[in-house]
Amino acid sequence: MPAKVYDAIVVGSGITGGWAAKELSQKGLETLVLEAGRPINPETDYVEHVPPWEKRFRGMGDRKLLSVDQPVQRTCTGLDEWNSKFFVNDRENPYVTDPGKPFLWIRGRQVGGRSIIWGRQSYRWSDLDFEANLREGIAIDWPIRYQDIASWYDYVEDFAGISGQKEGLPQLPDGKFLPPMEMNCAELVVKDAVARHFPDERLMTIGRAAILTQRHNGRAACHYCGPCARGCITRSYFSSLNATLPVALATGKVTIRPHSVVHSVMFDPKTRKATGVRVIDGQTHEALEFQGRILFLCASALESTRLLFNSKTTEFSNGLANSSGEIGHNLMDHCMGGGANAMIPGNEDRVTLGNRPNGIYVPRFRNVKQKHPDFLRGYGFQGGGSREDWHRGMHMRGFGADFKHMLGQPGPWTFRFYGFGECLSNHENFIELDKEKVDAWGIPALKIHCQWRENERALLNDMSVTAAEMLSAAGAKDVEPFVEDNAPGLTIHEMGTARMGRDPKTSVLNSHNQAHDVKNLFITDGACMVSSSCVNPSLTYMALTARACDYAVDQMKKGEL
Amino acid sequence: MPAAPGTPEMQRREALKLLAASAALPLLSREALALFQEVHDQLPETAALKTLNPHQNATVIAISEGIIPQTKTPGAQAARVNEFIDVVLSDWCDEQDRNSFLKGLDDFDSRCRYLLGKNFVDCSAEEQTHFLQIADSEGPLTQARSAENELGGLQQEVFFAKIKQLTLIGYYTSEIGFEQELHKEIIPSRHAGCVSLEEEAAN
Repeated sequence: MPAKVYDAIVVGSGITGGWAAKELSQKGLETLVLEAGRPINPETDYVEHVPPWEKRFRGMGDRKLLSVDQPVQRTCTGLDEWNSKFFVNDRENPYVTDPGKPFLWIRGRQVGGRSIIWGRQSYRWSDLDFEANLREGIAIDWPIRYQDIASWYDYVEDFAGISGQKEGLPQLPDGKFLPPMEMNCAELVVKDAVARHFPDERLMTIGRAAILTQRHNGRAACHYCGPCARGCITRSYFSSLNATLPVALATGKVTIRPHSVVHSVMFDPKTRKATGVRVIDGQTHEALEFQGRILFLCASALESTRLLFNSKTTEFSNGLANSSGEIGHNLMDHCMGGGANAMIPGNEDRVTLGNRPNGIYVPRFRNVKQKHPDFLRGYGFQGGGSREDWHRGMHMRGFGADFKHMLGQPGPWTFRFYGFGECLSNHENFIELDKEKVDAWGIPALKIHCQWRENERALLNDMSVTAAEMLSAAGAKDVEPFVEDNAPGLTIHEMGTARMGRDPKTSVLNSHNQAHDVKNLFITDGACMVSSSCVNPSLTYMALTARACDYAVDQMKKGEL
Repeated sequence: MPAAPGTPEMQRREALKLLAASAALPLLSREALALFQEVHDQLPETAALKTLNPHQNATVIAISEGIIPQTKTPGAQAARVNEFIDVVLSDWCDEQDRNSFLKGLDDFDSRCRYLLGKNFVDCSAEEQTHFLQIADSEGPLTQARSAENELGGLQQEVFFAKIKQLTLIGYYTSEIGFEQELHKEIIPSRHAGCVSLEEEAAN
């Protein structure tokens, strides 16, 4: 019996894989989704309502186990004693870096991928971003502009549900928002001060988050329990597991195969098409093959590129679809961690109720209207206010009944601005296959060469200055600017390494995320990015994926694929 | 295998169904909350101590209760903070941290004997308070902000600061500390950005 040929194979089940599965299956394609990790059952695997007293270390984490199994993953502040199971085991998933140049690769391998543990911040790009490379002569130009993707932002926002406030800024286009979440007392103070002291330059808005503030497409509104990254049984935040995959499965056209570690892409030099993928079963280590008419790589930026490297042919000796030689190059991540902390006096008789899983956002204001002398591009601030709680007692003197009474009351209001900056595309930030190391399935591991350069460092320094400026303007006390030294990768916005572009000589993918060299191969995760903007990228990946699916199916219907 | 009715797993599923069906969120149904409550009430029984010997345990109980005493609400002893500290010493600390803590505990008691002529647990309430006052006033404290990325626990150099830190974590993350002392809810019955304490009390 001849092997089954799927209409489409999607590699990965995270943010972009979920979208590809939904779009392709809704357009009638019989679709196979291959996920390297295990299946997740929300009813039994989500742990957001497990109270701290049921955790052995009360939230301090299983230190010994983490130091052995997850020494890289544990550097991510989003990992906790509840959700460490949604991050990979570093012993099974090794990679190599240059001495003194760490790259922290934070990964999730399970159905749902990292969409279970993502930060949910959702922002549109603008032409300030899409035109930047061309304007400044950095890397290559994007093959698309805002008008090419605007309706796709509408489309994915309509489905996902993004809460936020319209602000009318050209550099951060408004979306189709659900009602915004409320700011707390300290945030209202700072927002007002920023508006008064920096008119027409800076503003502070509530975070635009893929969290429902009202019932939407059959999913319930957020109930403010707080720790989204442990799962959400009411499916109130967007993840592939909560939103796209159930819809995809409901078409009856989708098969999700967990424990399917994709080894490489099969390529037919005669037809110049990909014919399918080789898979190693994650549990049995059995070698398998699956065939498909079109192939969507949605495995995350570095994993999709690693796959191409591991799919060498006689013609493509440096990796499949790599006639440009650009595969693996131009790795980016947002530089994060310049900012300031402070105390916000006042409002001692007021509190916030519930655990809002969102913060504030200060959209980019550098190099928007006026050119800055010290650096290109810019950054946005996340962060927010909160009242100190009992934790403050760990750093104070005191004991006994009065001490206990004091810690039972809310403490002072604090505030933090935390910057996320654009990273310039640089050919020398690149990945390749390591010649020796392999993962638990025998697949060559990556060697990652990446470092921050002058422009990123200048952005980080400026963040600490402007953050302190705004807090001082708000009458804050004890303003403490900071510049953290975070390794690239830790922002978990890694992108690039298979960029889009108009010219096949300098880019890997065309304006529809289609490989120049292999027409039925699409890459719609972060690998496709040409520049990084400074805003969180996932919403853009969603829009690019839906757009690429529409194009691919259209091309199939026209007999082009 | 289907979960048997009445088991915690079944109750959890029932609660989840109610949650998912609750269209009037954020006001969750009382039944859903009550079901969660029942699940949480069925905690595993106490495990035997692995590190602390009976005298060390009694001393840890006395110190932690001195830090967070019973008032109108239960204190550290009722919240079984000593058991949490034993777990941390046994399975979280490396050997060096554990030995340093136990030596600190021993030194604490020796000093108490030197100053007051008896072990800490044998002191009167006034004597204990007096001795805790001395211990609490000594040594540097780490800054909250610099320690923020640490998962918590044992950041302090001085023994008393360490046991205070573990006492607070153990107490406020216990069911007693979380619910009776802080009046916190895993699933908040209300949410709001900025409300007056009076307004909150009225609800």
